[in-house]
Amino acid sequence: MPVAEPGPPAEVGDDGIRWQHPSPRLLRARRIQVGLVTIPAALIGGLAGSTASAALGLGLGLGLVIAGLLWERFLARRVAAWGYAERHQDLMVRRGVLVRRLSVIPYGRMQFIDVTAGPVERSLGLATVRMHTAAAASDARIPGLDRAEAAKLRDQLAELGESLAAGL
Amino acid sequence: MTNRLPSGPPGSPLATADMAGWHRLHPLSPLIRTGRHVVTIGILLVGVIFANRSQAGGDLVINLVVIAIVLAAGVVSWLVTRWQVADGVLRIDTGLIRRQLLRFPLSQVQAIDVVQTGLARVLGLAEIRLRMAGADSSGGRLACLRLADAEQLRERLLSMTRAPGTAAAGGQVALPGGQVALPGGQVALPGGQGTLPGGQGTLPGMAGRSGESVEIRGAERQLFRVRSRRLAGAIVLSRAGAYVAVVIAAMASVAVLTGQPGIVASFLPPAFGVVLAVWHQFNGEFGTVVAVAPEGLRLRSGLVQTTAETIRPGRVQAVRLVEPLLWRAFGWCRLEVDVAGPRQRRENQSEARRLRALIPVGSRAEADQMIGELLTAPPKPARRAPRNARWKAPLTYHFLGWDGDDRYVVASRGRVCRKTTWVPLHKVQSIRWVQGPLQRRLGLASVRLDVAGRRVTASIQDRDAAEANDVLRRLPEHARAARARAIDPVLADPPPGG
Repeated sequence: MPVAEPGPPAEVGDDGIRWQHPSPRLLRARRIQVGLVTIPAALIGGLAGSTASAALGLGLGLGLVIAGLLWERFLARRVAAWGYAERHQDLMVRRGVLVRRLSVIPYGRMQFIDVTAGPVERSLGLATVRMHTAAAASDARIPGLDRAEAAKLRDQLAELGESLAAGL
Repeated sequence: MTNRLPSGPPGSPLATADMAGWHRLHPLSPLIRTGRHVVTIGILLVGVIFANRSQAGGDLVINLVVIAIVLAAGVVSWLVTRWQVADGVLRIDTGLIRRQLLRFPLSQVQAIDVVQTGLARVLGLAEIRLRMAGADSSGGRLACLRLADAEQLRERLLSMTRAPGTAAAGGQVALPGGQVALPGGQVALPGGQGTLPGGQGTLPGMAGRSGESVEIRGAERQLFRVRSRRLAGAIVLSRAGAYVAVVIAAMASVAVLTGQPGIVASFLPPAFGVVLAVWHQFNGEFGTVVAVAPEGLRLRSGLVQTTAETIRPGRVQAVRLVEPLLWRAFGWCRLEVDVAGPRQRRENQSEARRLRALIPVGSRAEADQMIGELLTAPPKPARRAPRNARWKAPLTYHFLGWDGDDRYVVASRGRVCRKTTWVPLHKVQSIRWVQGPLQRRLGLASVRLDVAGRRVTASIQDRDAAEANDVLRRLPEHARAARARAIDPVLADPPPGG
């Protein structure tokens, strides 16, 4: 997988940031998710359209399939855009291709951390780590981590959070 | 009020200065808690009777049954509810079918409010609401106690929340752990107020009087009092006022066009809703008085339903100055503060979405003075956005700006409604750098600072990408330094310091 460097330019933050990326299996998980949405949608759309005329049904079904394929093309870049870096005092998470985002969350501000895994992620041995601060707006999650790595990251973050905790 | 039976165990719960035992709420609380619904149903009932007198009989019975059920539920809920303060924890047990055992560690309390609805005021009762920090968990609610008891309990709870490590008034057990990041210099002595907590509860006669006279005591310095006339004018010129104008215009035009005033009746429910919303706002902000007291900022407001809130020092997460277009013509503005945690007023949705307004409407001078009290030497949003931002934000460009020092960041935005937000760096929860496609093309980026709470974000909007990167590089470091300073008791801000 060609790891382009979308997201904020490399010089943002410390210069020596070592970005870590989600597991390559995240791309597979996302593809499966797209497939799970696209194929039933195309089938239902096609069937519903064919009640009017066969051409409409075919067109609708094909259109939905093409939309799904385009979406799939975009996935690789989106998956590659995810990255996180553990710094001394805070965690940086970046994501997004069209709208690029980079969040800085001080360890001391983390209220709690949860690890979730949906059915698709679970079947591939992946998990999502989500950090919560007291601010509802700060949304920091890292999807598609190896399950063992997710657990390790969670423990690490929890420990850092505890030692650096600050009051509200 | 003297002939009213004390609730729960013999003697007023607080007069005995013993909060460690279990207490009941006031026996009249079910009436107060359901009062709102009863009134609503009553109004509906009257409407139904007037609308069709012939069929009113059946509806009347149904409505009476509904009222009876609501009241019975209230009584049951009162019977199974009890509360206790011990070991720095407020415990509330409630619920018959869905039993809830609530624990509120007082060291985590953000603010304590005393609220009186109109009915409660008549009966001399009040409700205590605890605001916790969680963004979506509900806080504690003790409804209702006698006003004097409620006042006293609030003082007591506040003194317990304030001084971790020291014994609270009334010989309570010391609070666990120094979790509260209060600068030591700010810990004012609760005893300095000169009121013996035990002494007052024995004067139940006080409870019958209006809240104002009972509350003003101790060393407090008034900062602001809203002018009623200006408040009325401001509400007329606000969004709510615009809605009312639209509704009235619609009703008038329909009546004129059709020539049948009776049709207007079908507009009444939405009109009623709008009027109610405006009334809530007016009622909630009427007579707002802000004062500095040793335990924090005291806010009192309300015409029928009165609220007395205390915001503890160091709990203000952000300060926001709002200047709507129409208000600017008069030089008016609104000053709001963000306190962590959700608003507790479920019944009052229109207000629940707002921040707490310290100044519902006031002049710039008043606002500046208040800002000066809240923040020490705050910066002004003097750094204007770069020219490129004009293409991305043609309207808001006019007011886009920010500035920051090693304590605060200020950012302003908005064209119709200008909003200037000050965020103390030691309250920053997370920092986000965002760049949309259009911004990328123009070489811009935004940096947002989130603070605890739901809605407040200071957005340093549409800066040069280089500048935004620079901000992002340096801000976490500044915030860390500010946090370290704030935890250090060295930083002795004035009491309400952010």
